[in-house]
Amino acid sequence: MTASTQSISLAARPRWWRRIWNGLAILFASKTAVVGLIIVLFWVTAAICAPLLTPYSPTAQDYRAQNSGPSAAHILGTDDLGRDIWSRLLYGARIVLIMLPVGEHVWLPLGTAIWGVLLGLLVGCTLGLVAGYLGGWIDEVVMRVLDAMMAFPVILLYMIIIAAVGASATNVVLAIAIVGTPGIARLVRGLTLDIRTRDYIRAAEIRGERKLYIMFVEILPNARGPIVIDAMLRVGYAIFAMGTLGFLGLGLPPPSPDWGSMVASGRRYILAGSPWAALWPSLAIASLVVGLNLLADGLREESMRYQ
Amino acid sequence: MLVKDYMTRHPLLADPDMPVVDAQRFMVEANVRRLPVVGDGKRLLGLVTRQSLLVDPGRLGSLNMWEIAGYLARLTVKDVMIKAKDVIVIGPEATIEEAARLMVEKKVGCLPVLEDGAVVGIITETDLLAQLTSMMDLRSPGVRATVRMPTDQVGGLARLVNAIAARGWGINALGGSVYPKDPAWWDAVVKIEGVTKEELLAVLQQVPGETVVDIREV
Amino acid sequence: MIADHRPRVPILAVRDLAIVYATRQGDVPAVRGVSFDIQRGETLGIVGESGCGKSTVAFGIVNFLGANGRIVSGEILFQGQNLVGKSEGDLRKIRGDRIAMVYQDPMQALNPSMRLGDQMAEVLIVHRGMDRKAAEAKCIQMLERVYMPDAANVMKRYPHQISGGQQQRVVIAMALLNDPALLIMDEPTTALDVTVEAAVLDLIADLQRDFDTAIMYISHNLGVIARVADRVAVMYAGEMVERAAVADIFLRPSHPYTQGLMRCVPRLGQDKTSSYLYPIPGRVPSPQALPPGCIFEPRCAFARRECGQRRPELREVAAGHWASCLFAEEIAEQGWKPPAPAEKAPSPGASAFPPVGARRAADRPILKVEHMKTFYRVPSRRLFGGREYVRAVDDVSIEVRPGETLGIVGESGCGKSTLVKTIIGLETPTAGTVEFMGIDIAQPVSRRSLDILKNLQMVFQNPDSTLNPSFSVGAQIGRALRRFRKLPGREVRAEVIRLLDLMKLGERYYDRLPRQLSGGEKQRVGIARAIAGRPEVVLCDEPVSALDVSVQAAVLNLLLEIQQQMGTTMVFIAHDLSVVRFFCDTIAVMYLGQIVEIGPAEAIYMPPYHPYTEALLSAVPIPDPRVEQARIRLSGTVPSALNPPAGCRFHTRCPRKLGAICETQTPPWQVAATGQRIFCHIPLAELSRMASVITLKEAPHAG
Repeated sequence: MTASTQSISLAARPRWWRRIWNGLAILFASKTAVVGLIIVLFWVTAAICAPLLTPYSPTAQDYRAQNSGPSAAHILGTDDLGRDIWSRLLYGARIVLIMLPVGEHVWLPLGTAIWGVLLGLLVGCTLGLVAGYLGGWIDEVVMRVLDAMMAFPVILLYMIIIAAVGASATNVVLAIAIVGTPGIARLVRGLTLDIRTRDYIRAAEIRGERKLYIMFVEILPNARGPIVIDAMLRVGYAIFAMGTLGFLGLGLPPPSPDWGSMVASGRRYILAGSPWAALWPSLAIASLVVGLNLLADGLREESMRYQ
Repeated sequence: MLVKDYMTRHPLLADPDMPVVDAQRFMVEANVRRLPVVGDGKRLLGLVTRQSLLVDPGRLGSLNMWEIAGYLARLTVKDVMIKAKDVIVIGPEATIEEAARLMVEKKVGCLPVLEDGAVVGIITETDLLAQLTSMMDLRSPGVRATVRMPTDQVGGLARLVNAIAARGWGINALGGSVYPKDPAWWDAVVKIEGVTKEELLAVLQQVPGETVVDIREV
Repeated sequence: MIADHRPRVPILAVRDLAIVYATRQGDVPAVRGVSFDIQRGETLGIVGESGCGKSTVAFGIVNFLGANGRIVSGEILFQGQNLVGKSEGDLRKIRGDRIAMVYQDPMQALNPSMRLGDQMAEVLIVHRGMDRKAAEAKCIQMLERVYMPDAANVMKRYPHQISGGQQQRVVIAMALLNDPALLIMDEPTTALDVTVEAAVLDLIADLQRDFDTAIMYISHNLGVIARVADRVAVMYAGEMVERAAVADIFLRPSHPYTQGLMRCVPRLGQDKTSSYLYPIPGRVPSPQALPPGCIFEPRCAFARRECGQRRPELREVAAGHWASCLFAEEIAEQGWKPPAPAEKAPSPGASAFPPVGARRAADRPILKVEHMKTFYRVPSRRLFGGREYVRAVDDVSIEVRPGETLGIVGESGCGKSTLVKTIIGLETPTAGTVEFMGIDIAQPVSRRSLDILKNLQMVFQNPDSTLNPSFSVGAQIGRALRRFRKLPGREVRAEVIRLLDLMKLGERYYDRLPRQLSGGEKQRVGIARAIAGRPEVVLCDEPVSALDVSVQAAVLNLLLEIQQQMGTTMVFIAHDLSVVRFFCDTIAVMYLGQIVEIGPAEAIYMPPYHPYTEALLSAVPIPDPRVEQARIRLSGTVPSALNPPAGCRFHTRCPRKLGAICETQTPPWQVAATGQRIFCHIPLAELSRMASVITLKEAPHAG
């Protein structure tokens, strides 16, 4: 029963920009996180500035330069229909990270992968909080359903969902959310089980706060650390999943510059001597996923270092 | 009066790899004459004394000045110690008389006390001497009398003690041994507080068959 | 006897030790310039509050500082050899053979997946090379030395199968197996119940006599130190401020910090009226921002100009008595005056809190519990049917009048927490009634009306978990205000600030996050949150147990002030009889789910006693060497609440057991002349003849 250590300082609570700076300082303290951040930022900037970085449209076909390797005109070469690979990568990154095409000409900010994870967070957190806090038979039922979902191999689940509802960006978002929910719910449930033993939850209960309030206002903000890190990892999984779906032909319909389908269509030409159409998108997927993983790992390591 | 009650527990110990010069300095600073050398688990490996640290000139015969300095600097305790098999030891449950006997017979000044092979303490001559003074209760003032009686006589001591007890006096210390110069006689030493020499002498002279050979105030 | 002729090399001599910890912001000096000696067979008590560096010193000695701590200067001479700078291999040998450490949590030393016998034998097999049979025989012998009942069987058990006190005995036995020259004990009894602690302290004294071990005993509890130590060293903010024999420290403290500590500690020997506690103002400086001169200067009542400029060294102010204060001799003579009356006046903003409601007629209790039982169902271990219940609270009745304070005292497992949780609605009673303001409230909290919720609030034990880490202080108190009182938006902030003023915190705490607060400050915010709605009754579940001594005093005084000014009724739970004494009007002592004695506060501390109360009083460590305390130790452990003993529940351990009647019949309630009720078979006349457990050996000194 030793008392908590005396506090650090009595200085006024830092201004908001100072707090962000302190948060970033944690990030910069970890080399792993910095490397990951550089990779991710590279792709995000590339996606945002896509029109500035390439003169070609991703769908412009040039029959004279099919399957050509890297050259002065096309930095990374062209695919089998003569489209510039570099442009297709940039605009493909857009869809993944920056914009979500909802209809023909309507799009939402934040890319497909990110929307998928956000939607998964929404549903997963709710389920996790409910199962963890309310317990009892609700917990049992929810957990068994989620267990059943987790029993499916991930790719199979994706395929089933896309095959059922069709391939479009919004459906991919839905698939990512459905597949990610059980993992997130489990994580949040674990955190909730721990947090709900704290005295401030008791204090809220004896104030007569409603259960919804306790779950979302008292418990959830204290679980954000692990959730954020997990979410970052999940964006990586989602990107990977999108790549796989594209490869299997279940991704965004052509001529959309989906990285996975780029790999699929470029695959045929590898042995014929033009590996470029398959190589560059694969590297793109890998680098982005690795970047996110490094970022998440670095943050987790740093936040645990001085425990 | 067992060794475990009179020994010094947690004695200063030496590591076998300790350089001799360090050990020497250590003994001087700590003012001890002997250091048990122990290995893992305080297992006795040997004993160093101030004596054993003096270097044997025979070993140095063929070395020149610089080599001697090097040799001395590299000398460790395990090179000069008395090996464990040659060290006389005793157990904690032994009596102190046993310890004294060993010290006398083997002509050693101290005995490491070993339990299950580990050094748990050390008992030295000085410990035994200190015990002797406390046995005879040297600290507090009183009258000390030595009474001589025949060794073979049964009940001589009992008569002496009864005579003292009959007067209501308490005996602070009691000891006895055979008179070294003539084993036919046995000396009993009593120390009593709160009486005068004359009073005690008067009572002791009443005891038949015994003579008071010494009486003094201490 | 002739003076001890043995070598006087101290077993442990620390000289000018300095230890730093590496943090993200740079090196933090955790320990500075600490020096002390421990002789063979002596116990040095190291006292200090949390963060003072006492545990760091211990870890430094055994080189357990972790990746980011290191010794930067100083010497640690263990039996004449300097441990600083030795290789890890050498240190490991010394650590294994000659230094042993006992921690607060016995499970830190015990492997939960190995049998106790195997773990203990391993110590001997690995370090001494003994064979298994011989090692086990020695282990059994050592277990018997620590008075472990049924030692041979204990060897075959796992750690979780024995109680906390027994685990600690096993750990002590393991520590002594190798006959270490130095035993370091870091708060070994803090987590134990008072009666168990008393037995373990007796054991330690006993063992030290036989093994002649030097003991370094670290604790924040002054009473325990008074009982075990021969000499005491006081640490503050990483420095050693005073060092002397135990009687000198307690009777003639020379450093202002030590004096301050003595004034904060409730002592059983004092009577109630003179036992106002004087907390030390200010807070401990953070190691990154130490004052330039004397580290205690900002909080010192005697500070002069030189104190802020020069850092004092530890110097000898009397024979064997060292203090690091420039003016130690003058302070000792002056004595200390209580703070000026102005400080005792109501704090600013207190006038905004008129007493709650008018005093009701003296006979109507505001909270009435009758024959309450709260049982927990446990899944039965048998295959078919049969339910087992943990009888946490078994037939308890209490009454609290408005404005009164009821103290509930008992050791772990007695049911006091469950009792309070049932009253507040976090548990549902299995039987009995709970009446609050005339309304039956035997329902869970979710079904109570807002009015009831508003008037019945709670203060929790653990300051670290009592506040939500994600919200500011102002937001959390404000939330409570908004729930219970209809105030317009702008008013809420003003009211929160008024509450913060009442807690002696002030407006600058409004935007702080809990992690920027110290333990005591967090607890005060918790209290502010509890009284925000001006409740009639506040239940306090051990609110000061987890706090440092000087902070306890401040919080207790605060609660007292709130009670006096606002007329709040309080139910105060504690495990320590000394804390409740000056605070409560009525005290109830609980054992295994039942109340065994209840009555006016003063009456509890004097005969007639219930035998359990008598044992509790004789076990509480008292930080006053002038007080003489009876030695009554309870044998055995608390029986399981699943299957409590029949008849009087205390009969399995009672030193005054009468006989078969105690085992079969429920005791009657007997009312003593002094007003307390005792639940015991022993006739009142005999109970009244009991000697008082605590007596003063001499008249107390003035001041």
